[in-house]
Amino acid sequence: MSGDRLASVAPGVLRGSSRVEQAGVREFLAFMVGSECYALPLSCVREIMRVPPIAEVPRAPADVLGIISVRGKVTTLLDLRKKLDVQGTPIGGRTRVLLVDQGEETMGLLCDRVLQVHRLGEDEVELASVLGNETSSYVMGIGRPGQRKAQGPKSGSKREARQAAANAHDILILLDPIALLKRQSHA
Amino acid sequence: MAQGKEGDKVREEFLAEAQELIETLSRDLLLLDESQRRGQRSAETLNDLFRGVHTLKGLSGMFGFERLGRLSHLLEDLLENLRLGRIDLSQPVLDVLFEGVEGFARLLAEAGETGEPTKVDIDGFADRMRTLARVKAPTHNVLEDFELDPNMLGVLTEYEEHRLRTSLEEGFSVFRLRVRLALDVIDTALDQLKERVKAIAEILTYLPSMDGTGGDAIEIEMLLATRKTESELRSALGRPDAALSLVLRRASGAPRTSIKAPSQAPQRRLKSSAPVPAASSALQRTAEAGPGSDHSLRSLTSVVRVDIRKLDNLMNVVGELGTVRAALGRFVEKLRTGVDQTLWNEAHRIQRAFSRHLSEVQEGVLDIRMVPLAQLFDKVAVIVRQVAREQKKEVRLLITGADTEVDKLIAEELADPMMHIVRNAIDHGVEIPDARTGVGKPNVATLAINAYQKGNHVVIELSDDGRGIDTALIREAAVRKGILTEHAASDLSRDELLGVVFLPGFSTATTVTELSGRGVGMDVVKTNITRLGGAVELDSEVGVGTKVTITLPITLAIISALLFEVRGRLLAIPLAVVQEALRMPRDAVRTVEGREVLTLRGTTLPLCRLGEHFGFSEPGEAAPRDLYVVVISVGNKRLGLCVDRLSGQQDIVIKGLGRSLSQVHGVSGATDLGDQRLVLVLDAASIIEEVLLGRSSPLALGGLQ
Repeated sequence: MSGDRLASVAPGVLRGSSRVEQAGVREFLAFMVGSECYALPLSCVREIMRVPPIAEVPRAPADVLGIISVRGKVTTLLDLRKKLDVQGTPIGGRTRVLLVDQGEETMGLLCDRVLQVHRLGEDEVELASVLGNETSSYVMGIGRPGQRKAQGPKSGSKREARQAAANAHDILILLDPIALLKRQSHA
Repeated sequence: MAQGKEGDKVREEFLAEAQELIETLSRDLLLLDESQRRGQRSAETLNDLFRGVHTLKGLSGMFGFERLGRLSHLLEDLLENLRLGRIDLSQPVLDVLFEGVEGFARLLAEAGETGEPTKVDIDGFADRMRTLARVKAPTHNVLEDFELDPNMLGVLTEYEEHRLRTSLEEGFSVFRLRVRLALDVIDTALDQLKERVKAIAEILTYLPSMDGTGGDAIEIEMLLATRKTESELRSALGRPDAALSLVLRRASGAPRTSIKAPSQAPQRRLKSSAPVPAASSALQRTAEAGPGSDHSLRSLTSVVRVDIRKLDNLMNVVGELGTVRAALGRFVEKLRTGVDQTLWNEAHRIQRAFSRHLSEVQEGVLDIRMVPLAQLFDKVAVIVRQVAREQKKEVRLLITGADTEVDKLIAEELADPMMHIVRNAIDHGVEIPDARTGVGKPNVATLAINAYQKGNHVVIELSDDGRGIDTALIREAAVRKGILTEHAASDLSRDELLGVVFLPGFSTATTVTELSGRGVGMDVVKTNITRLGGAVELDSEVGVGTKVTITLPITLAIISALLFEVRGRLLAIPLAVVQEALRMPRDAVRTVEGREVLTLRGTTLPLCRLGEHFGFSEPGEAAPRDLYVVVISVGNKRLGLCVDRLSGQQDIVIKGLGRSLSQVHGVSGATDLGDQRLVLVLDAASIIEEVLLGRSSPLALGGLQ
């Protein structure tokens, strides 16, 4: 699948090189943080999990919520709400951790709710540059899934409910996993 | 992309193999150095070295490491000349060899970094080698003095002839051995014979005899060099049918057989592993195999190289299985009342068996990680030699307990501190030979390294018989550098003064020369060792010597830890740093210059409220009335950690935090208690340093953002 390739390509490629255009349709996982709807390339999401017990790490960077154990592996959990500077909801039944694999370290991203997988054609993706220079470096584009039929992971009424939720936020902010997980080095 | 990965893997394989070869080379080189000093024969070691360099050359060529290949080629030439006796083994030659092997190590390190320009000056090295490698002028040919069969001499290789000549010159007895071996068992019979002979003599050459062949047997002729007598040799051979004759010195004035230039002689030899179809064809087969070719295809050992990260992963899985074990135990316990007794017994039995085998697996994995300290000591030996030569000092290195095993990771981390200590010992501890004789010491100094296991710890002692450290000078220097006040310094005991050497800022180059002791970077040594959960102590007596004792845990993977609660958070600290845990009424705390302290058995113990230190938010519940104080110590510094509740002791597997949290101060990792809950493991050394010295890296407080 074309999406598989996205995990290993540089953000520049995602922003519209010929290779991606040839690939045509790409898959994105949409999720909510606060009232905003975001999406990450599906290929970089290894797993969606419920929130395990979180151990606080004193003096960790502000966007680090703590550490969690993922099958025995100590994994850093990032707070997307802090990272993206949006007001989030408290951890509840719908809160999920996205395990994102990018570069040297697998990290967890806390999001308020996972929506669905969108397949976006190139005509459904606008580059981040449409937003001007003020956009954060994490945003690589805007997805408008309206033009194509969305493919939710589930079928039936549940799917329709999700569809409805997605339609309410029919603009997806496409995040760049590499920029998102990159740690500033203070060396 | 797949190809790139494959390439990386191949490259890694090469690097690992080359690394191993180079380690072996430096070990052999030390052996060579040793035998040269003692005036012993070293032909075998030279051969080993030659083979090693030869293999390295082949590998480098195969993988396109051109500079490594060039250096190997140069060294191979030098070794070849040594082997053939064209040049003599001398200290300068040894120096060049050591330099070459060090060059290998550096080139390899650079090759590992991918594409970094290397700083190893191969051309300069080649020049130096060239001046050394001036081939000796041929001297008197000793071969002409002996009754040697010219036919046999004619087929000796240059190397064999050199060995024969050397043996005769050194006064060894050379015997000629003839024995008939049946063709159908010639391989095993020959190997057996060689084994026996090698135990007491050097085999200079062996050939199928020119005559006496026929039927289903072949006559083998050997030339042996030994210091044993004929009868000793005969009994060791265990073959009464063997004909043994001593090669005698010619009567003077007897006519001499002229000998062909050996290099032009056809090189013929019988390869033991090859089948021998007929004597005549065996003789005609030329030896296409150079030295070492017997070894190049098959590995010499049954050792498997494993990336330590794979073992870490395995360890993780084993840790997970421990969780399963605990859950299973609870489950079986629940069943006790529910199901009938026989079923429960069965379940219980299975659970016990699982538990036992899991423990074995755990021990097995830990065992795989263990390496003998010899690997590390070999590197130390090279440094000792090098530094001693630089400083023109005579140092004898005495190593005991090199087979003591530690976790691979510890062995790696220990390398730098050890180098530091050894370098210091020779730089500053050991006197120059004249000075030593002046004070009645033997002119060769002794640096002794002794390692042994003590419970769950490994102790490494490094002692020298140098000039020792004068504590009066330490005191003076510490006051002058403002580390101690005059008053405080005068109160310190001898041990405490020695401890000052480990303080950061004390040990600078100027202090050291004034002290004529040691101390360069001893604070770094201490930090590194403390990080491994170990401790380092120093003892010294002026004029007698200095001893550094390093104590380390055997493994980092599993440690005993004390668990406690702070503001509702569960934390762990290695038991190794915990001196005691006390319960104190809250009003026992006093304040000295704004710092909270406790009086403990007449001494002052500084306190650190962990909750505030780490900035944990207050939980709803009120703090308990009494205070628990966990007294931790690293080296000679103590600190009391105020905690809310003690939660017992447990063996834990420490897992590192991800790279994203690598700069967090005061925490060395986390452990999974089995219920998916992670518990932070505190880094005692950095907490003590931060609280007592008021030092912390600027990153620690501000975080990364």
